[in-house]
Amino acid sequence: MPYFGSEEMVKELKRALSNPHVQSDRLRYKNYITKVIRYMTQGLDVSSLFMDMVKASATVDIVQKKLVYLYMCTYASDKPDLALLAINTLRKDCADPNPMVRGLALRNMCNFRMPGMTEYIEQPIVAALRDKASYVRRVAVLGCAKMHSLQPNTEIDGRIVNELYALLRDPDPVVVVNCLRALEEILKDEGGVVINKPIAHHLLNRMKELDSWAQSEVLNFLLRYHPRSDDELFDILSLLDSFLQSSHAHVVVSTLRLFLHLASAHRAVQADALLRTSAPLLATCSAVSRELRFAGLCHVQQVMRSQPGLFATHYKRFFCGYSEPSYIKFRKMEILVELVNDENVSLVLEELRSYCTDVSPELAQAAIAAIGRIARTYSEKCLDILTGLLALKQDHITSAVIQTFRDLVWFCPQSTAAVCQTVEAGVDRPQDSEGKQALLWLLGAHGDQMGSAPYVMEGYIDGLKTELSSTVKMELLTATVKMFLCRPAETQDMLGRLLHYCIEEESDVCVRDRALLYYRLLQRGAEETRRVVTGPKSDPSMSVLTGRQEEPISEWASTFNTLGPLAGRDSCPQTDAISAADQPSYSAGEELLPGSEDVTLSGPGDTEEEISLSLGAPLSHESFEKMWLDLEILHRQALGVSRPRTAPDTLQASLQLEKIQTLAFTPADTVPWKAYIYTRSTGTLILAELLQGATDESLVLSVKQQPVNQHAIRRFVSVLKSVLQTLNLE
Amino acid sequence: MIGGLFIYNHKGEVLISRVYRDDIGRNAVDAFRVNVIHARQQVRSPVTNIARTSFFHIKRSNIWLAAVTKQNVNAAMVFEFLYKMCDVMTAYFGKISEENIKNNFVLIYELLDEILDFGYPQNSETGALKTFITQQGIKGQHQTKEEQSQITSQVTGQIGWRREGIKYRRNELFLDVLESVNLLMSPQGQVLSAHVSGRVVMKSYLSGMPECKFGMNDKIVIDKQGKGGTTDDPGKSELGGSGKQSIAIDDCTFHQCVRLSKFDSERSISFIPPDGEYELMRYRTTKDIILPFRVIPLVREVGRTKLEVKVVIKSNFKPSLLAQKIEVRIPTPLNTSGVQVICMKGKAKYKASENAIVWKIKRMAGMKESQISAEIELLPTNDKKKWARPPISMNFEVPFAPSGLKVRYLKVFESKLNYSDHDVIKWVRYIGRSGIYETRC
Repeated sequence: MPYFGSEEMVKELKRALSNPHVQSDRLRYKNYITKVIRYMTQGLDVSSLFMDMVKASATVDIVQKKLVYLYMCTYASDKPDLALLAINTLRKDCADPNPMVRGLALRNMCNFRMPGMTEYIEQPIVAALRDKASYVRRVAVLGCAKMHSLQPNTEIDGRIVNELYALLRDPDPVVVVNCLRALEEILKDEGGVVINKPIAHHLLNRMKELDSWAQSEVLNFLLRYHPRSDDELFDILSLLDSFLQSSHAHVVVSTLRLFLHLASAHRAVQADALLRTSAPLLATCSAVSRELRFAGLCHVQQVMRSQPGLFATHYKRFFCGYSEPSYIKFRKMEILVELVNDENVSLVLEELRSYCTDVSPELAQAAIAAIGRIARTYSEKCLDILTGLLALKQDHITSAVIQTFRDLVWFCPQSTAAVCQTVEAGVDRPQDSEGKQALLWLLGAHGDQMGSAPYVMEGYIDGLKTELSSTVKMELLTATVKMFLCRPAETQDMLGRLLHYCIEEESDVCVRDRALLYYRLLQRGAEETRRVVTGPKSDPSMSVLTGRQEEPISEWASTFNTLGPLAGRDSCPQTDAISAADQPSYSAGEELLPGSEDVTLSGPGDTEEEISLSLGAPLSHESFEKMWLDLEILHRQALGVSRPRTAPDTLQASLQLEKIQTLAFTPADTVPWKAYIYTRSTGTLILAELLQGATDESLVLSVKQQPVNQHAIRRFVSVLKSVLQTLNLE
Repeated sequence: MIGGLFIYNHKGEVLISRVYRDDIGRNAVDAFRVNVIHARQQVRSPVTNIARTSFFHIKRSNIWLAAVTKQNVNAAMVFEFLYKMCDVMTAYFGKISEENIKNNFVLIYELLDEILDFGYPQNSETGALKTFITQQGIKGQHQTKEEQSQITSQVTGQIGWRREGIKYRRNELFLDVLESVNLLMSPQGQVLSAHVSGRVVMKSYLSGMPECKFGMNDKIVIDKQGKGGTTDDPGKSELGGSGKQSIAIDDCTFHQCVRLSKFDSERSISFIPPDGEYELMRYRTTKDIILPFRVIPLVREVGRTKLEVKVVIKSNFKPSLLAQKIEVRIPTPLNTSGVQVICMKGKAKYKASENAIVWKIKRMAGMKESQISAEIELLPTNDKKKWARPPISMNFEVPFAPSGLKVRYLKVFESKLNYSDHDVIKWVRYIGRSGIYETRC
């Protein structure tokens, strides 16, 4: 960004740099050069000094050289013709007897980002690959990668690639790792560096010499290697064993990821690795630096998806410190909720209750929501706490408690009576719109159990003119209509007033349309309205879906130790993008980060085997129909097989064997023939329709799903196909 | 990999900006300033995503350090790398502050140039860096041929942390056991969580390539030896008066010089030490921690406008030892109008800007007790919000290890040069500091 008076400043510098008196005084000259860099850092455009800076590069002072090179690298792309002037000096330095000077010159020459550079740097790089000083070789190897990135679309130079593969045997460990990094970038389009058996074993043997960053990267590269036999596999694992106890958290996590990947067929080995890393992971969770602590907590959450019990005895480690930043506290609370068991429940709840009075309202609300989650299993204790919190008479707490009540009633109907009693006994009116909506929903859905419900609602209807949020108004409409259906005498009058206001005076179109809808519905009679408006008061099958199940390790192992686990709840929709982009074969190039639009759905092939279908609770016709209408078609394909000519019962039975439920199908000889089927898989529900137009046409499959999980769909399609094919053979 | 590194001051002015890869544009520097530093709200996550670019940021006093990348990298590694950067800079010029960074701006660019190349970590060992990046700068030409070859052999050597041919007239070793004890206690005196995280920091000035062996009262080792022979039992029971004999270490990690295979098989810690100062190991214990201080709070609300607070602290260690730099911080409500404090020892003051009474005691011997009582007057408010009562926190320094760790021996073997274990002068020091030491009230 340009500052005031910046032009003056640049001019003054230019005068000073070209002043022969300054040039002869080494210290003053250097001071001016430092000043240029300082302004460059602040974002000032000092590119007009390029000529003077090139002159300054001809010096014996290494520090001054470095500064000038830094300047030239920044502006070379803007002034390619002038940059060429510097190349001569640089090439001369590449032949300097001091290896440090050689390395420095080569590194900076490769950093010039301008077209046409390749012809000047190719020869020095190739020469430097065979330099006797490893410092120069390190620079040269990465120079190859830089050269490729200058001209990404040119043919790959096979000679350099071969040279780099040969340098994997270099005695210097950093050269070895740099070779891997360079090959990975150069061969990106061909799937990156190839890790075959000799290379893998060579790398494994050198692991101990590498520094921690290199270890972490090599472990990532090794993810690509598939051992031929179990013996080899276990040899590799025992070699890597000591890295599970490394002092660097990132090495531990990388090793764990490799373990999980290599031992994907050996459940016991995986479990053992998780058990052994639990101590270092816990240590990371209480590391001095908060960012590492955060990263540790995120990874603990991942591990807990498969082994919820692993950290149960250490629950106290996840109690929040007063001064911790909120992002750590949120994670810790999420973990605490998962760790609750019969022994620690009272202590955990006690702890969570103390967070409810935290100064940050967001944190307090999260704590209350956490108690609400625990309440699904331990309702009585939690309800006591939540009711106690209402007595504090704080707006944000009251609102959060009521929202928690609403969710609780929906998820575990047995607590309805207690909640209704509390709400009836007197609750302050929440002030924010989420809280109002929650209270109105409770009143509408369970108004029959609360004597005073119509009067509370009347208060809202009277205050309608001052209400700003349209969602609250809509909730109020729905709730009042529901209330009218169960207690018509008390509600009729206020419903009339409400509808009148919303239709005649309301300016929000959505609210008015909703009011009109209810009005016309009520004209059709109370029974008709009841059929439309009142749904089930809670959905017991939801608890099956939300209940904690142990997920297979492969669900999360592929994103372990990447940005994925850190992405968290707020950017949840994008995490799919990350997992898709980061396939087990670590791909270096343009990877997708949260915020990217193009979601590629090519999942890792090896996770597919792990997804299994399950029957779950049977689905009623009504709920199937409702969901089918609500959801969109995610996947449609022609199966390439026609309808089996077997009896309908056989079809149903064989599908059920593969854990696919049949809901309904048309009689055998109707055209078009249709069948509706559904199944469940790792937390998702798949609904599908089979359709056959003419008699001998192929079946067309349409799939809807909630929540979306492409792996499960693919698994489902392949199972279904094989069933149909076998039936057709018979 | 890391596409760029930026350092800002608290106002968001760029102090250092180094871009390593083309995919990071020059506007990335401003994007971070606008979205994170100037956002004026709590940091929601240490990783911020702005326009498909991830910013990993940490804050040291008033300084922001951010690593930028477009790739899906390993988060823990980037954070550890940023800490390593901080360590390297601290080793060069001390505390990381705006002034220090501005003054050492050329040096930092030099370091950034060596530590990362094309975004890949190259050389981050302070010892090795210090041989060729010196603050004098012009060393490059004045070096003799011999020095030069030495540098390159060190930069590239097999044992990255030590070079050949080191000589000292006096062979000395300094060993510091630094522990920070963390506590969270309920008002009733129940320990909610407590752990000690400790570090063994060594300064070694030894000639040649010595082989060292470090021994401590690790429970597993002691138990093993106890089974082996019963002869040294009477000696042990004499020592027993000074506390427990062995400690259970929950987990420990080592500097890369320690041979892990030997630790795994025999639990012995042997290594060739780096030259100068380094951290040998880190460990954590959670069992049988000696809590140096006990804080007993008593808060009474007298009506709506007055609070009475009484806090007693008890020191819980040998009477011959002295704790230092004791500071007790008693939080006060936001609507405090005045405070009267009476304390038996030390000085206490109400600091309105920090909303706390700060009570400082220079030293205090073991098994003593001291108390403070305060009357806090409150302004009547119509804010119904109840005071959240933050915990009472405490700072101190004690000359022993709260985990109970004891150094049993540190042996030095150098076969090629003619000095033996007896000739090495060894110094051991224990310092226990408070980490987060809080008692709820």
